[in-house]
Amino acid sequence: MTTPQIIVTLNGFALTLLIIWYFWLAPKGQTRAAVSESGTQEVAVTVKGGYTPDVIVVQKGRPVRFTFTRQESSACSEKVLFPDFNQSALLPEGEQVTLEFTPDKPGEYGFQCQMGMLRGKLIVK
Amino acid sequence: MTVKDPICGMEIDPKTAFATREHMGQTYYFCSKNCVDQFDAAPHSFMTSSATTGFNSELPLARIELPIADYPFYKPTDALKNAVRALGGVSQVTANSTTGRVWVEYDPEKVNLYQMAEAIKSAGFHLDGAQTRIGIENLRCASCVTFIENELKATPGVLNASVNIATQEATVDYLPEKTTLFSLNISIESWGYKARLATSDEPVDKQEQAHDREYRRLMNKFWFAAAVSLPVMATAYYQFVPFLNTLGMNTLRILWGVTALLTLPVMFWSGSDFFTGAWAAFTHRSANMNTLIALGTATAWLYSTAAILFPAVFPAGTSEPFYDVVAVVIALVMLGQALELRAKGQSSAAIKKLLGLQAKTARVIRDGQEMDLPVDEVLVGDVIQVHPGEKVPVDGVIVEGSSAVDESMLTGESLPVSKKQGDEVIGATLNKTGAFKFHATKVGKDTALAQIVKMVQDAQNSKAPIARLADIISGYFVPVVMILAVWTFVIWFNWGPQPQLVYALVTSVTVLIIACPCALGLATPMSLMVGIGKGAENGILIRSGEALQTARAIQTVVLDKTGTITKGKPELTDVVISEQSSVSNDEMLRLAAAVETLSEHPLAEAIVEGAKVKGLSLVPPENFEAIPGHGVIAQVEGHRIILGNLKMMQREKISTGNLDEIAEQLADDGKTPMYVSINGQAAGLIAVADTVKEDSAEAIAALQQMGIEVVMITGDNRRTAEAIARKVGIKRVLAEVLPEDKAKNVQLLQADSAGKRGAGVKKIAMVGDGINDAPALVQADVGLAIGTGTDVAIEAADITLIKGSLKGVVTAIEVSRATMTNIYQNLVGAFFYNALGVPVAMGLLFPFFGLLLSPLIAGAAMAFSSVTVVGNANRLRGFKPKFSAK
Repeated sequence: MTTPQIIVTLNGFALTLLIIWYFWLAPKGQTRAAVSESGTQEVAVTVKGGYTPDVIVVQKGRPVRFTFTRQESSACSEKVLFPDFNQSALLPEGEQVTLEFTPDKPGEYGFQCQMGMLRGKLIVK
Repeated sequence: MTVKDPICGMEIDPKTAFATREHMGQTYYFCSKNCVDQFDAAPHSFMTSSATTGFNSELPLARIELPIADYPFYKPTDALKNAVRALGGVSQVTANSTTGRVWVEYDPEKVNLYQMAEAIKSAGFHLDGAQTRIGIENLRCASCVTFIENELKATPGVLNASVNIATQEATVDYLPEKTTLFSLNISIESWGYKARLATSDEPVDKQEQAHDREYRRLMNKFWFAAAVSLPVMATAYYQFVPFLNTLGMNTLRILWGVTALLTLPVMFWSGSDFFTGAWAAFTHRSANMNTLIALGTATAWLYSTAAILFPAVFPAGTSEPFYDVVAVVIALVMLGQALELRAKGQSSAAIKKLLGLQAKTARVIRDGQEMDLPVDEVLVGDVIQVHPGEKVPVDGVIVEGSSAVDESMLTGESLPVSKKQGDEVIGATLNKTGAFKFHATKVGKDTALAQIVKMVQDAQNSKAPIARLADIISGYFVPVVMILAVWTFVIWFNWGPQPQLVYALVTSVTVLIIACPCALGLATPMSLMVGIGKGAENGILIRSGEALQTARAIQTVVLDKTGTITKGKPELTDVVISEQSSVSNDEMLRLAAAVETLSEHPLAEAIVEGAKVKGLSLVPPENFEAIPGHGVIAQVEGHRIILGNLKMMQREKISTGNLDEIAEQLADDGKTPMYVSINGQAAGLIAVADTVKEDSAEAIAALQQMGIEVVMITGDNRRTAEAIARKVGIKRVLAEVLPEDKAKNVQLLQADSAGKRGAGVKKIAMVGDGINDAPALVQADVGLAIGTGTDVAIEAADITLIKGSLKGVVTAIEVSRATMTNIYQNLVGAFFYNALGVPVAMGLLFPFFGLLLSPLIAGAAMAFSSVTVVGNANRLRGFKPKFSAK
């Protein structure tokens, strides 16, 4: 093996590990929903190439109100779905859309766009 | 002083008036009987106050009725009355605590509604007005805000108004009885502004508009990238292009430099979505299609630029650029996305069709005036006039008039249904023959149609269990492809043929580009959307993707008898006279039915109805007597008529002769025979039965043809049950099942089938009319409720058949099978596309056939794989059920 080949191979290993670590292993930042005066848990989510925040922690048995604002025109993200709660909302560009429901059981639930390209996680504790 | 007769307009002296009437707090005087009769028929239409302003210009004082939200009044209303009375110009205030209304008599010159609303608020009460938001176009000057606000507040009927310059919207509290959206818009327009719908209230077409905009945006980006692609392609394949192939390396390098600059706007304008999307995903520690395209094109561009800037660094023959990959791939993927968007638009056609059923305007009667209002403005409690040939705008109850209404679009009932006062009418149905007025009970999102649309939309967005696999795969997909691209590079670089660097680069870029997570992600939702929409078009409401998927595997259908196979309502079936009868069939029926007019038994109703259908006129009976468990006795036209069972005849000591035998036969057929005796003589038999729906047998035969076992379950006695089962061709009957045991029987069937062929393979469906069968519907793998569209919201079933027919069961299973087949095709297609495409792109075929994929072909394949998935889902739109809806 020549030196460049060895370098390329080592880089290949390094990149592989980096990809595995970055996308799968590294812990993700979690956002805890704020509780409003009325007792609802409020989360504002920006939709642009992804959901910000995308890992949301809420308490069970207390209504959660999401306010989605979609800041892009790409048709991919025009709908947000919570398949486990049978909830969905159409997100017109630039508008605040609220979606409210009460998660009863603790667990991790995904939310996503219609074709599953953008994903987020709702952790109910 | 004289007053005006509101009917003929004649000036009369109130003292000598023919009659007076009090209506809505006003006294009316009439000159003649004719006038007062006309007024009595429809007092509302002659009221002298204007509907839009609420005051009568001929009266010095105006009266207004204000609805109070805190009704019923728990606190004394004195404070309220005093607060309003304290206003200058208010002469009288009365409050009615049972209706929650306050009447105010006031001088409109001195006091306005806004001040009254404030006074009521200060007394601790709230006015129950409606609130609406109106968008105002191009509202820029802050000072105009106050002008518009004041103008709106001065509009009769407006309680409060505020204009927000940031959102360009006016929020108006108003009394819907006193004003209309139209007059509010006029107020805004009087200041030279154009009113539009508030952004948050815009109709569903908005999605379509957004799609159109997005399509144009994508196409613009595509055309730009495509235009740049041409010269870029020419310089990339300079060997084949006349003139270019005569140029020296240095000139070419300059040309390539130009294409490098040309492709920059392609990347950062045409392909900006990929880069912003990739970055956004990256910051979320996730990767998607954008990541792959951005990585692939950016790598190609960077390598190419390095190659032309520093050719000396690269081994011989590797310093040629790949700008064509950048431009062409971006152009193709953009085109693919635009086409996908177009195809997606068609997938939601079913919802559009449902929404298209909605009437646009309603003829509302407020304060006696008819006015055409947009259907969104109709309020609960409004009285609405519907003429023949018009659509019923919202749900409600008829208060005046009668008609036949075509409800086929919502209930599937093909014949127009006759409606009279007190009957319910459903929004979006079509009034056929007569005119009627109805009282709106459900408007907006509460109407049956809106509920159906909501339910279909929710189901379309739900997830079929089969999609979970695709979800898991796509969660790992992109990083895996990235790792594969890295190792493709390493392997080609280490062991590939010369020039290794070029091969390594081209193959890894091809891997990044050909992989298409979108096709996998789209496979299920697109088909589900079309499939559930198709169901809705055929009167089948499927609650979720899960129900749709389970329905495919139905092997046994359990049918409830009453109301599902049969009409659920007894009908007159036979009239038989005895040998010694002195009267004819019709005469006996006429006399018996006359007796039954006083009976409240459901069987009695069937006899009366049957006689009416035959055109027999019934006289009221005398000396009516009901003997529980036996029958009834009465005098009709001087004849003593006895109607009842055999026990009744024995009690009255009437010899029944050959009738017993006939009665036995009728009972064997599942009918209920009743003996009729006229003046102590056995005259004959009348039989009623719950008859089978016309198409039940056909539907059951179709189910059996599909290889599905049909079982009947009923609480009825075995004899009746078997008679019905014979008629419709059902072999397995579970009779005499108590209502609470129905669910248990379904469970037994489930256990039985699981034992035979392994659990989960054979699914049991239960079909019932929804109310008493609820536990069994829930117990079954798939519960199908037969119900009209109006009770959709309360149904707990997985699938609701809004047409009352059993044919819906066949169609539901057909829709499910067709949709699931389509989903499998999509998933298998998308899976194989990636499972074959990625290895070929890696160069797996190269050692054997010398075959390598061009990144350009990879780009085209990737772009069209998702279009294919959407296109295949759209094929479902051509699905035709065996029993067509129309």
